[in-house]
Amino acid sequence: MSLRTLSAAMLLAAIPAVCMAAEPPRRIVSLNLCVDQLLLQLVPNGRIASLTWLSRTEGDPQLLPLAFAVPVNHGGAEEVLAAHPDLVIAGRFTTGTTRRLLQSAGVPLLEIEPASDWEGIRRTTRQIAEAVHASARGEELIAAMDADLARLHSRQDRAPVRVIGWGGSGDDVPGRDTVFNTILEAAGAINLGARDKGPSSFDIEQVLLSHPQVLMRGATYASSPALRNRIAEHPALRAQGYRTLTYPEAVYGCAVPRAASLAVQLAKELDGLRGGSP
Amino acid sequence: MTLLAAVDLRVERAGRVILDGIGVAAQPGEFIAVIGPNGAGKSTLLRVLAGLQSPDRGGVTLGGKELTGRTLTSEDLRQLARLRAFLPQGAHCEWPIAVERLVGLGLTPSLPALGDFTLSDRARIDAALEACDLSTQRQQPVTTLSGGELARAMLARALVGDPEVLMVDEPLAGLDPRHTQDAARRLQQLAAGGKLVIASVHDLTIALRRATRVWALKEGRLLADGPPPSVMTAELLRELFDLEASVAGSGARAYIDF
Amino acid sequence: MKRGTRLVMVMSAMLLVLAAASLATGRGGHLLSGPTDEAEARLLRLILWELRLPRLVLALLVGAALGLSGAVLQGLTRNPLAEPGLLGVSSGAALGAVIAIYTGLGFLWSLSIPLLGLAGAFGATALTLTLGGGGGVLVLILAGAAVSGLMLAGTALALNLAPNPYAAYEITQWMMGSLADRSWHEVLLAAPFVLAGSALLLSTGRGLDALSLGELQATSLGVDLARLRRRVLLGTALAVGAATAVTGAIGFIGLLAPHLVRARVGHQPGRVLWPAALCGALLLLAADLATRVVPLQPELKLGVLTALVGTPFFLWLVWRMKRVAP
Repeated sequence: MSLRTLSAAMLLAAIPAVCMAAEPPRRIVSLNLCVDQLLLQLVPNGRIASLTWLSRTEGDPQLLPLAFAVPVNHGGAEEVLAAHPDLVIAGRFTTGTTRRLLQSAGVPLLEIEPASDWEGIRRTTRQIAEAVHASARGEELIAAMDADLARLHSRQDRAPVRVIGWGGSGDDVPGRDTVFNTILEAAGAINLGARDKGPSSFDIEQVLLSHPQVLMRGATYASSPALRNRIAEHPALRAQGYRTLTYPEAVYGCAVPRAASLAVQLAKELDGLRGGSP
Repeated sequence: MTLLAAVDLRVERAGRVILDGIGVAAQPGEFIAVIGPNGAGKSTLLRVLAGLQSPDRGGVTLGGKELTGRTLTSEDLRQLARLRAFLPQGAHCEWPIAVERLVGLGLTPSLPALGDFTLSDRARIDAALEACDLSTQRQQPVTTLSGGELARAMLARALVGDPEVLMVDEPLAGLDPRHTQDAARRLQQLAAGGKLVIASVHDLTIALRRATRVWALKEGRLLADGPPPSVMTAELLRELFDLEASVAGSGARAYIDF
Repeated sequence: MKRGTRLVMVMSAMLLVLAAASLATGRGGHLLSGPTDEAEARLLRLILWELRLPRLVLALLVGAALGLSGAVLQGLTRNPLAEPGLLGVSSGAALGAVIAIYTGLGFLWSLSIPLLGLAGAFGATALTLTLGGGGGVLVLILAGAAVSGLMLAGTALALNLAPNPYAAYEITQWMMGSLADRSWHEVLLAAPFVLAGSALLLSTGRGLDALSLGELQATSLGVDLARLRRRVLLGTALAVGAATAVTGAIGFIGLLAPHLVRARVGHQPGRVLWPAALCGALLLLAADLATRVVPLQPELKLGVLTALVGTPFFLWLVWRMKRVAP
């Protein structure tokens, strides 16, 4: 049975289970960073039993104070059960062991399919909001997102900026079909990585030849070291003098309503860089 | 003028005594056969005399230089290498190089770090090949040589540098009768030509007929040291090998009868 | 004509051809047909001088170092299966570089990665020499294997404990070996060590020749075996350590290159050295070209390619040895 069908089946199984419970879930466990972000905005902290450890290091900076108030898990099956959840929400890559364990413990598991465009974000948000009995709040978030999008759309007359998400290692340049791409387009930029689906790879020669105006360097896990920053010092790149922007890489991969405010922020930053492209 | 002198050599390994108080002296022009039962310490003695193994006690002097009791410098090692040539038991070559290249290895101590053979080097190699009847096989890979041919090739490599001393451990092992005689005759001729030749052998008849002196070793001790006829008597052979033996014939046709 | 001279001439010619091809290959290849304006011409010059030329020089240096050290090690151990990785040099260099990445030193100072890689290579070599120096060749090989295992364990530990999941990904990528996106920076850093190490290795030729006769005969010919071993290890640590520190782990060149030239030069270990260095440079350059030409996305890593091509050759070698051995 394909993963899609399995997830759909679980979803169908989960929703009645959740809806049949008259009580809204009070001990929600999240196994996915993006779900963490959404939960923090949908439900009060008291109803969250644990989030992933990444929520404290890679999550949206604005949500950090909330994230620190909640216990964290590292994804292990035992940890999850020890939190006595009445609902577990995960991304697509939950291990079979965890799934079976939750099933035999009678805990409902909701697995979210990844999304990459605004419609997908709306769908996912509604899905999760319903599962945690916070549909009204969900709609609020979506409305705010749509307002941001409308504002961005009204400025589409400006010349698009050529941007590439190249941080130094060149192996994981975001392509089309990614949330990164969606954010960029909303912010009025052209994603040069979009020639490929999913993660693209660019070596320095290709970067030079695609004539970018701005390099966006992921600040993921900036607290801990990474090799890629070394390569970005290559003399050939320095000679070209591209503008560089740092962006929170992890949340740029999350299909949640906040992506729209990230796009607004990006648009502002690109405006600042716009005058004076090489 | 003593070319080689050893005093009170003692070697112990893992509690066992391999050599026990051996003292010998040798001059150029001698062909010395070292005889004795297996495990008597013949190979160890040769290695110590060649300066390749340090004794636990005692000293060796070769060509006036002390080989023991100090660390030999690289220059010492090279001078020693030019002075004496050593062939171990079952000498063989790891790579299938040409015979003439094998022989050329004998010139290592006199070659500079870089650069190929000079004309005079080539002449010496040619001479050594000629002397050991290998000129027609000079390009052949050594791994394809027969036992007798390989023995000759190794001997050629030992001789190419014109050493004063030649120490060979069991040069006749595994050779057929004709090659045995050939090899023994060569060693004898080398000694007659002024070199000091020391070889350990199991073929007692060869020792009797060809050697100018015999060292008899048993359990690490030197039982006898002298010309073959006086050393290789029935009593000594019995003591040496625990076997009844007698010397038959005389002179060049003498042989050992077990 | 001396044996092997023709081989050297042929390989040199091939090298020139591949070098030219290397400068002409890359995503911007179309620019060579004639830039349309000043900006494009400038871009082309930048690409040639800052990207492709350093890459070519590095490929030659690293390939030669690997081929040469492979030839020396096979001569020292009298074993055609020996290669630089045997002594723990490559895994030591990898551990050093990984520590630099993991602790953030690489983040603060870009040169720390190659330098720590070099330190790692030295550390591993010193350990191997201490453990196995006194005994014979077999002990040396076993000591090298043990040290290699230790280095790999350390690397695995670093991967396990990396607080940054991305670091684990980066380390893995780095260890696959690559020449992509290097600059003159890396060349200037590695070259002195590679050249010094190679000079040391080339000086072992005579000793290795004498070793064909076994250790006893070699010593009797005046070869200081302890000194020879030290030179081999030091030379390998310098040359291969620096190379690995800058490119990641690239295997099999050190194994293959000596084999491809040995028969043509008459098998004598000392005469294999220069041709093996040349062949190593040739092989690595060809492999690097292949990674740029093969249209895979993401780009095929150099170490992966050499492993894919090298392993079947290695297996064939073992099979042949089994057949020939008594």
